[in-house]
Amino acid sequence: MSSFLIRRLLQAIPTLLGITLLLFILFNLVGGNPVYHMLGKNASPAEIVRMTHQLGLDKPLWHQYLDYVGSLARWDFGRSWETKQRVTEMITDGLWPSMSLAIPAFIASTLVALIIALTAALYRDRWIDRLLVVISVCGMSLSMLALIIAAQYLFAFRAGWFPISGWEAGFTGVPFLILPILIWIAASLGSSVRFYRAVFIEEMHREYVVTARAKGLAWPRVLVHHVLPNAMIPILTLVVMELPMLFTGSLLLENFFGIPGLGNMSVNAINASDFPVIKAMTFIGAVLYITANVVGDALYAWFDPRVRVS
Amino acid sequence: MRDLWEKIRKRFRRDKLAMIAVVIITGYILAGLLALVGILSPDYKVSIGDAYSPPSWAHPFGLDVLGRSVWSRLVQGTRVALIVGFSSTFIAIPLGTTLGLISGYFRGAVDAFVVWLYSTLDAIPTILLLLALALVLPTGKGLATVCIALGVTSWVSTCRLIRGEVIRQKELDYVRAARSLGATDLRILFVHLLPNVVHLILVQASLVFVYSIKSEVILSYLGVGVQNFPSWGIMIDDARLELVGRGVWWQFTAATAALFLLVLAFNLFNDALKDVLDAKQR
Amino acid sequence: MGPLIFTPPVRLASIHSPTANARPSLLRWKNLLFPLPFPLKRGKGLGVRGVLLALVATLFFACTPHQHQKNVYRGALGANLKTFDPAQASDSYSNQCQFQVYECLFEYKYLTRPYDVEPCLASAMPEISDSGKVYTIHLRSDVEFQDDACFPNGKGRRVTADDFVYSIKRMTDVRTQTFGWWIFDGKVKGLDAFRKESENLPPFPDSIHPALYDREVEGLRTLNDSTVQMTLTKPYPYFKYILAMPYAAIIPHEAVEHYGEEFLNHAVGTGPFVLKEWRRGLRLVFERNPKYHHGFYPTQGEPGDSAAGLLADAGKPVPFIDRAEIYIYQETQPMWLNFLRGNLDRGGIPKDNYSQAITSEHVLRPELAQKGIQLNRLQQLDISYICFNTDNPLLGGNKKLRQAMQLGYDVETVIDRFYNGRGIRAQSLVPPGLFGYDSTFRNPYAHYDVEAARKLLADAGYLNGAGLPELSYLTLANTDARQRGEHFAQNMAALGIHIKVESCTWPEYLERLRRKKFELVGASWQADYPDPENFLQLLYGPNAPPGENNASYHNPEYDALYQRMSVMPDSPERMVIIQRMKTILSEDCPWILMSHRTTELLTYDRVRNVKPHPVLEAPLKYYRVD
Repeated sequence: MSSFLIRRLLQAIPTLLGITLLLFILFNLVGGNPVYHMLGKNASPAEIVRMTHQLGLDKPLWHQYLDYVGSLARWDFGRSWETKQRVTEMITDGLWPSMSLAIPAFIASTLVALIIALTAALYRDRWIDRLLVVISVCGMSLSMLALIIAAQYLFAFRAGWFPISGWEAGFTGVPFLILPILIWIAASLGSSVRFYRAVFIEEMHREYVVTARAKGLAWPRVLVHHVLPNAMIPILTLVVMELPMLFTGSLLLENFFGIPGLGNMSVNAINASDFPVIKAMTFIGAVLYITANVVGDALYAWFDPRVRVS
Repeated sequence: MRDLWEKIRKRFRRDKLAMIAVVIITGYILAGLLALVGILSPDYKVSIGDAYSPPSWAHPFGLDVLGRSVWSRLVQGTRVALIVGFSSTFIAIPLGTTLGLISGYFRGAVDAFVVWLYSTLDAIPTILLLLALALVLPTGKGLATVCIALGVTSWVSTCRLIRGEVIRQKELDYVRAARSLGATDLRILFVHLLPNVVHLILVQASLVFVYSIKSEVILSYLGVGVQNFPSWGIMIDDARLELVGRGVWWQFTAATAALFLLVLAFNLFNDALKDVLDAKQR
Repeated sequence: MGPLIFTPPVRLASIHSPTANARPSLLRWKNLLFPLPFPLKRGKGLGVRGVLLALVATLFFACTPHQHQKNVYRGALGANLKTFDPAQASDSYSNQCQFQVYECLFEYKYLTRPYDVEPCLASAMPEISDSGKVYTIHLRSDVEFQDDACFPNGKGRRVTADDFVYSIKRMTDVRTQTFGWWIFDGKVKGLDAFRKESENLPPFPDSIHPALYDREVEGLRTLNDSTVQMTLTKPYPYFKYILAMPYAAIIPHEAVEHYGEEFLNHAVGTGPFVLKEWRRGLRLVFERNPKYHHGFYPTQGEPGDSAAGLLADAGKPVPFIDRAEIYIYQETQPMWLNFLRGNLDRGGIPKDNYSQAITSEHVLRPELAQKGIQLNRLQQLDISYICFNTDNPLLGGNKKLRQAMQLGYDVETVIDRFYNGRGIRAQSLVPPGLFGYDSTFRNPYAHYDVEAARKLLADAGYLNGAGLPELSYLTLANTDARQRGEHFAQNMAALGIHIKVESCTWPEYLERLRRKKFELVGASWQADYPDPENFLQLLYGPNAPPGENNASYHNPEYDALYQRMSVMPDSPERMVIIQRMKTILSEDCPWILMSHRTTELLTYDRVRNVKPHPVLEAPLKYYRVD
């Protein structure tokens, strides 16, 4: 098992380097000289030369790239051009608000999707299943942006059931999070219900289930003891793979609901062409994705030893 | 190959939902084409009444902040959505297919490179990559940049699928037979293998299409979308403010419904397609 | 320097409004100690239920509205605060927050109009030589910096003349990378040379206090411990205002040396408040500075101020409030709702909620008035306009074309629809409230007249726009700015002129102005100091890009008049010159003049001494909370 993990981690290294290379090309080569951005309107040519030197932008490109990778390895993302703050600190600040939305929303949406999928699978091809499938196809077709605007308008503004937007630390912040979480659930339900339903249906038609049923075991028992544990393998894999989406999935939600998290920070950075922040967010997102991938593979291997060997 | 088309036709003729989906999609394409040549709603820039006139008999979809017809803007938005959808699909699908075929067939260093390329792209959060591309692409802001950015980021899943399928199929008898008869690699790839993965390509194409038009809306909201032209994303962005402040719901509803209907039609179409192809594989 | 592109008039609104939810953090802990109102028994089922109930109880108590703490003011900030370094105070949010902690030699008078300054850290107004160039300024000798870890033993020391000189030198040092250098650029003898020399210094933080700082600059000298002498290159009449700008705030060198690059996250000043807490993206807390004792409530006001109760506290020591909590809102909606719920003491009206607050007769809705909300209006010292790039041969070479476009633009509709009527159509670039404004001045081209526009366009050689290429109009990438651009394009289309609206981000916008890469651009300007020079310099030939003259406008007569008026104190003669300059601009039409905006400010009547001021946007030290 550990050799498997080590192998997977080693495989991640070229991908990480690829990401740094891509970011370097995008922002350092194509993105233009940051010195103009940093010095503002009234910079003299001498100042520009000085600053270029100070930032190491007059070094050969390979050297600049190595500097960049080196700073990433030290977990140093530099300072924001816009706020002059350390990017690492900005990220630390935004982490908690983001997580306070993303983690409950993620857990809730997964649970709701599983319950609905299981219901649909149990009543396969009956009206309730058809209804659920139609609803989930419609859900998949709805734009997240439109969903947010409509829900915020109808439930928060018109009906007044929720605060329109805002965020607070601690328990007082709970009311602010309910509506964004509900929207998150609604938006993610469509595709995941369909996936889980397919998994459950496939599992329910396996021989062992059919045999167990033939032996006279009741559905609930068969479900809990046979179907669920086996279906957990593909489900867990999907869940783990979706984890990095927490990072950017909440970009629009945070923006609309005024949650001072990482998504909001990214939108601000984009509006201000604040490259260091965008670069850092992209890199961290990628690292999370790779980590989740490795964890997903490891889980898979743990559940299904055949994978380990191949 | 002909066999596949036949099956798709048969299936769609039986499946009412799929037929409806095809009709809807055709309707959108027609509207987009008519708007493109200037027959349908050329008055999308002109003020034809009071600002924020609600829907009436004269203007069934109402008017916007500058007294422009929401209906005309909607039709012009269809044009943008279709351009974005088709051009990014035409970038992503050939790119993904070619890379997938080559890497799956030759394996070795080429394969390693392609796999590295797509796992790198895949690891980067798509929305941030899109925004980054939109910021730095030399084409500047606008329709072209959106299409290119969407095209070059959405070939990954196609490539991965095709590669897997080619790895499986190249050990099958028909490929071995072709090889022993002296067919060149190029011929095997494009004459023998390609037709046998075309079903995957079809499904992927409609997925990329849907993904692209949904992304356009979000990019427009974030201010890096189409410039100086009505698009559904821009209409939703406009409507965001007027909905809450003034209760102007018609522009928002119209743009959302137009987007929803088109995406729904594609999703249904896609489902029907998958059913045919699953049956084929069995 | 405040190009403030077309920010909707919500600006002030969004700026300092108040927010609530001020919740002492102790409260949350208290809840945990609070006896639970139900028995907790051991047992499997009950355990879970018990925990749940405890959770609900905690939520309940945490949500119970608690009484307003006495003497606490709750405000709001409409965007994330960037920095507490005065040298970086380039936006109004930073200004507002820094003014609570840092002080300058002079500060604006709160109540009297026209706008003027009075001594703050200086003990009197400057003694100005007959030439108008030598300023001798005496500093108060009884002011100390707040206590801070950067000082020996943590005790703040007395402020001296050297501190002022240090603060200006640090700001001049190119390595500080301030956006505010323009306030002294070319104005103080020897300071430009100092700046040039600072380019050769090793980068921060290697040499945070180089020997260069100890060398005397001719125009910036200390005569003794508490006297500064500044020598200007020309007798700039508005220099006293420059010394009241946040860029010129006095900072202790100990703080810069101690905190290094993190100085921007610390505030060590002499002002009425100290920064107690700053949670980025969430809130700022200021508390009364125990060492502050040099501020008093003004004793003079405008006619009517006394009747309005604004002079009830005349002569009393400030501040009146002990604590100010400023909440940060990036969205206007939650700010507005919290204000309506009484959680904030002060609020502006978001554009979209306008009709919820103000009736069509332009008065406050009675339901708000009943809640004790008061409405104050403020005429901003600003101008919004569309700028032609006169370097462009087509636009620059055809005066009639520019005049036609100005006549054909329906600005009244813009004010009505996009600003909710909060603004007046501009006839010249000088806004009301400044010397040089004349309400009777009429610009022959600054009204909406399609027929006249068509005729001028034909005279210009483009009958119904025939022969004109498509022109681009640059604006910012936000919904409001884009819609205004589309409206402009629509107006121009009615004349036969085709306009392409281009949206871009703020940095890209600045870059394109600087490099003259535009044809028309939507812009606005907010006064840095209350002198008409601040507006007239926007079209002074030598200020062409990368300077502030974005139009690249150049007229020898105008430039000569500018040179005269810029060094002349207010007088009838200056007025005549300004009127002449305005007439030249009316005819040449380098801008399409749009509006001078008004902002509306709402406060609960529990806050006393509220009078809006365009520079003192958050004069918390004068506020009293009952």
